[in-house]
Amino acid sequence: MYYVPHCDVRNMVANMVKANDDAAAKLDTELRRGALVLAVLAQLRSTQYGYSLRQALAQRGMPIEEGTLYPLLRRLEEQGLLASEWQIKDGPPRRYYTLNSKGVRMLEDLTTNWHGLVATMNGLLQQEGI
Amino acid sequence: MNVQAIIDDYVNKVAAKLPRAQRNDIGLELRTLLADQLRSAAEEAGRAPDADLAAKVLRDFGQPSEVAARYAPRGFQLIEPEQTPMIITVATICVAVQWLISLPLVFSGRMTPGQWWLQWCLTAFACFGVLVVWFGLANWMQRRFPIVNGKRPWQHWIFWVPFPRDWRPGEPEATERRAAVNAAPIGAVLTVFFVAPAWLVGHLLSKGASVYWLAYADNFRHWLLPPLILVMVLRLVFFWAVLLDERRRAATEVVRFGLWGCFLALLYWAVFGWRIFAYPLTDLLFRTWLLFFLLINTIQFVVWIRRTATRVRIPKTEATAPLNSNC
Repeated sequence: MYYVPHCDVRNMVANMVKANDDAAAKLDTELRRGALVLAVLAQLRSTQYGYSLRQALAQRGMPIEEGTLYPLLRRLEEQGLLASEWQIKDGPPRRYYTLNSKGVRMLEDLTTNWHGLVATMNGLLQQEGI
Repeated sequence: MNVQAIIDDYVNKVAAKLPRAQRNDIGLELRTLLADQLRSAAEEAGRAPDADLAAKVLRDFGQPSEVAARYAPRGFQLIEPEQTPMIITVATICVAVQWLISLPLVFSGRMTPGQWWLQWCLTAFACFGVLVVWFGLANWMQRRFPIVNGKRPWQHWIFWVPFPRDWRPGEPEATERRAAVNAAPIGAVLTVFFVAPAWLVGHLLSKGASVYWLAYADNFRHWLLPPLILVMVLRLVFFWAVLLDERRRAATEVVRFGLWGCFLALLYWAVFGWRIFAYPLTDLLFRTWLLFFLLINTIQFVVWIRRTATRVRIPKTEATAPLNSNC
């Protein structure tokens, strides 16, 4: 017969809960990562600079780490989906981004795919009774 | 400390790790973004931006090297993930072989441990580097000259690495049976030949002539040749058993493994422990050929063991009957 101290049991349960929370957080991050590009493209129909874009996304329930967002803007620009220029509006000079014609077409395509995916997922989740 | 100076120092550290062409542009943008970030953090905290807050914001943003890595153009993998186990295995074997060859020199007193450490132990690890460079160049070559219309360009052969093969449906048992059909006659001829090569060749060339250069050394003929011939005959019998049997059986595999292992062990013993032919030149040539033969056979043997060990074993239940069975 083994004697397990009460505090050990509590620690074990706490560790299990923490591991479960970590796994859930990782899966949630992965789920959001897939939608990130579409969210950014959608917001860049109007001109934005990095920080204002981050705030706009956060206000609409899509918080993104700045360390992820700013390099992503650069990559999208390199892929020819965004146009950017330095502007001085209110404060220091900032780099403003907006969709170019290729970006607009890409946004339309991705939006169509997104609606299809949402419909498919809804069908799957309802079928399983979730 | 000046808040802007802290941000500038951070931005400079990031910029130093970026490609030269992007350095200034990204640095300038990052400088403004971090200032915005700090201003927002100060508003949330209800205080003016100070050095402590700036340090916290920058720490949260990430280490300069990590941030630079996020901005850097996506690189390529020097070694593909599926190649890593092969490189580790081959390099480990290379190190082990070099140590096995060199360590006896230390134990026999022909080399000091210090000499061994510098000349063999450490230098053996160079094979890891050689393999990484080789595979890196091979992968670069394959990216530079991609396969077009399923045809592999000749440049891929400059730095050869095992190419991934397209899987095609096939029946391994049928392939093995075909291999046995090919191997059986060759094995039979070789077995007969090695019983008494001098006598056989003598009779073939001119009846009764003495072919002294093909005569076995006495000790070898008396002691090692009989068990060797016995194993060769048993392997031959086994080949025919495989040919006649429709199914692969566990027992057959064990016998095959055992006979093959015995055969290789006897041959290694013959090469390293015995004089095989009485005539020195024949002995030298045959021993060289045998070493080459053994090397190829050992590789095949190891591959076969590995394949057998990793095979999926299906439990014997009714639910796992073959798909095309009528049961």
